[in-house]
Amino acid sequence: MKGSTGHFLYVDLSDGLTNSFCPPIDYYSRFIGGSGFAARLFVERGNFEADPLDPEALLTFSLGPFAGLNLSGASRFSAAACSPLTGHWADSSCGGNFAPELKFAGFDGILVSGKAKKPSVLVISDHTAKIETYPELWGLGVEKATATLKQKFGKASKTLVIGPAGENLVKFACIMNDGHSAFGRTGLGAVMGSKGLKAIVVRAKDRNFLAEDPMACRKLVSELNSRIKESVTLSVMRENGTAANLEGGVHLGDVPIRNFTSNFWEEMAEALTGSTLSEKYLKRRANCDFCSVACKRIVEITQGPFAIPKGPGPEYETIVSFGSLIGSMDLAATCKAGRICNDLGMDTISSGATIAWALEAFENGDIGVKECDGIQLKWGDINTIIDHILPSIAYKKGNLGSLLSDGSVAAAKKIGPSSQDYNVQAKGLEAPMHDPRGGGHGLALTYAVSHRGACHVSSPMLFMEMGACYYPEVGFDYELDPLSSENKAESAVLAMALGALENSACLCQFADREISIPEWVALFNSVAGFNWDIHDMIKAGRRIFYLQRLMNHRYGLRAEDDKISSRLLTPAVDGAPAGIVIEFEKMRTKFYNLMDLNPETGIPSRKTLVDYNLEIEADIILKG
Amino acid sequence: MEFWKDETEPIKAFIELFNRAKQDAELYEGLKKVNQLIWFDYTEDGPNCSFFVDCRGGEVRVSPGKPSDQPNLIMSLSADDAHRSWSNKLNPVMAITRRKIRVKGSATGLLKLAPKLKKVAIIYNDTLKDLGWENKIIP
Repeated sequence: MKGSTGHFLYVDLSDGLTNSFCPPIDYYSRFIGGSGFAARLFVERGNFEADPLDPEALLTFSLGPFAGLNLSGASRFSAAACSPLTGHWADSSCGGNFAPELKFAGFDGILVSGKAKKPSVLVISDHTAKIETYPELWGLGVEKATATLKQKFGKASKTLVIGPAGENLVKFACIMNDGHSAFGRTGLGAVMGSKGLKAIVVRAKDRNFLAEDPMACRKLVSELNSRIKESVTLSVMRENGTAANLEGGVHLGDVPIRNFTSNFWEEMAEALTGSTLSEKYLKRRANCDFCSVACKRIVEITQGPFAIPKGPGPEYETIVSFGSLIGSMDLAATCKAGRICNDLGMDTISSGATIAWALEAFENGDIGVKECDGIQLKWGDINTIIDHILPSIAYKKGNLGSLLSDGSVAAAKKIGPSSQDYNVQAKGLEAPMHDPRGGGHGLALTYAVSHRGACHVSSPMLFMEMGACYYPEVGFDYELDPLSSENKAESAVLAMALGALENSACLCQFADREISIPEWVALFNSVAGFNWDIHDMIKAGRRIFYLQRLMNHRYGLRAEDDKISSRLLTPAVDGAPAGIVIEFEKMRTKFYNLMDLNPETGIPSRKTLVDYNLEIEADIILKG
Repeated sequence: MEFWKDETEPIKAFIELFNRAKQDAELYEGLKKVNQLIWFDYTEDGPNCSFFVDCRGGEVRVSPGKPSDQPNLIMSLSADDAHRSWSNKLNPVMAITRRKIRVKGSATGLLKLAPKLKKVAIIYNDTLKDLGWENKIIP
């Protein structure tokens, strides 16, 4: 088997032991890597009864077969565990530079269990690993901790680091790669923190990538890299980052405003869009390993209240989370808020969304100055957010920090039912910065049925609805109207399979749009030697989707949990989607039928499980 | 061609469209911000079927044919799809994905104009009407 090393690292922090193991070889073609592989390993080795923050909880980092391949968009990887934020199976995807280095060091992933007696760092180099106690790092922000690690282990080493939020078990704490890329969603930084693991460092000497068919692989990669580099969409993203089309999104009604209460704010569109960021603050562009897209930003703000030194800049989600979502159109402030979140180690989406919920709760009188430690919360008051609220959350300081550090859903449960009306989430995960009412009705469906909750990268549905996908080989030749339910269930069936494939192969959803379905198959075959046809590949994607549903069933989720907040289904009051109703139930029912999902349990029939070769996994998962 | 009798018709319509768009303050400002030389290349429908818009230097100039300077952006498509596009009946992202529109160069400037396509379509339909081509208007 090529593309992968065949070895995973197992780390028991309680015993201080590390060893490597070889997963069954069939896992690679059945579950690929990344999200799918992590799920299968959890079924084999995890404990569904363990609290996400108990030592027994299993945290997995898993690469795809293309990590280390010189292909734009191939340097991502997954982290997975039971989420402390949502209480069920979750994973998160991260770009950057760690994945290729880990592959070159000889591992396809890392499983972390136990709890270190003292704050520790896992140090990985060529085929070896050791746990080093490093208490002096504990308490440091991500930036300083990363710099310290680089000083000790060499500038070329790659790092995964948690910040104070992860140490303090904030339920939407993230894990940062070299201080810029993030495993942002679902609170996996808190899982790492609960284990006393401050960081993972990896350094590899060799940089060999072995493909099954090197000639075919080289030719295909060369073609794809050229196309990705020349792509008009991706060149726009190179120029102005992932927020390049924020302005267009505002006019479509896709960009949420004041906790999703509005879908149009014209002045904000130009103030926050990617070209404005380029003009005002961009110092240079940055990229994940091997990627020519370079959608990452390096920014500097030299003066004013939001001055920040040259360093990582915000991407689209961060700009909107700390911009229009909280009622601000101060671009410099979003840069600073993003930088602070990175340093504290907090997901910018859940941070912004939880704060937006609090702003609305305050406005509605559901929380008052007492719950807010004497602070008046106001829409657009980004100064208070930066100076007080973000640090309070990360350190769980005061009433407000305690209330918000478990996320908006838990906070609303504490405050009372009326405040749950303006939670904007699915399965306990705060919605990202795409409003399905404007961005596309199919997105409402995929938010609802995604295993991790409201997630725009669980599938390429957003791209399908905007017209950026054309896959006639698998029947996707629809010209979708974003503001309609027509053909959305059918599209979602394919979208969820493709999403599972992308998140398991650990390919970037931006670069991926330039790769056709036959080319995906050719990539898997030339790199990993799967010998697939298109049908086999789509089947693998759907198998992973079903597996993750089975796991969430074990965590107690049922069909009734495949829903999204009522706010996202209430017709917009302004902008392009004003007054249009999302036919959610119609789409969901059709999706369930097409996917053979039981309308009560939410899982597929035994026959379908057998068809997808999941009977062994189903027996293990469901017997408990 | 489905909408046009010959290659001169679309160019006449599109140049008139841009000349009228220049009269609209918002569109004029938007065009100036594009700050690029754009060649709209419909030569697949005839060798003279193209025009260019020069938005560089704080002015907007529109002329038929290919520009003598190297364009910053070339948009190649059929004259029929261009008609659909200016009528706001063609999803540009979808058209690019399906290779109905081929783009060379930076489309960043044009992206800023995308939200204004609705307004452009209104002006375009008025243009067609005034040119006596009401029958070409896509309902």
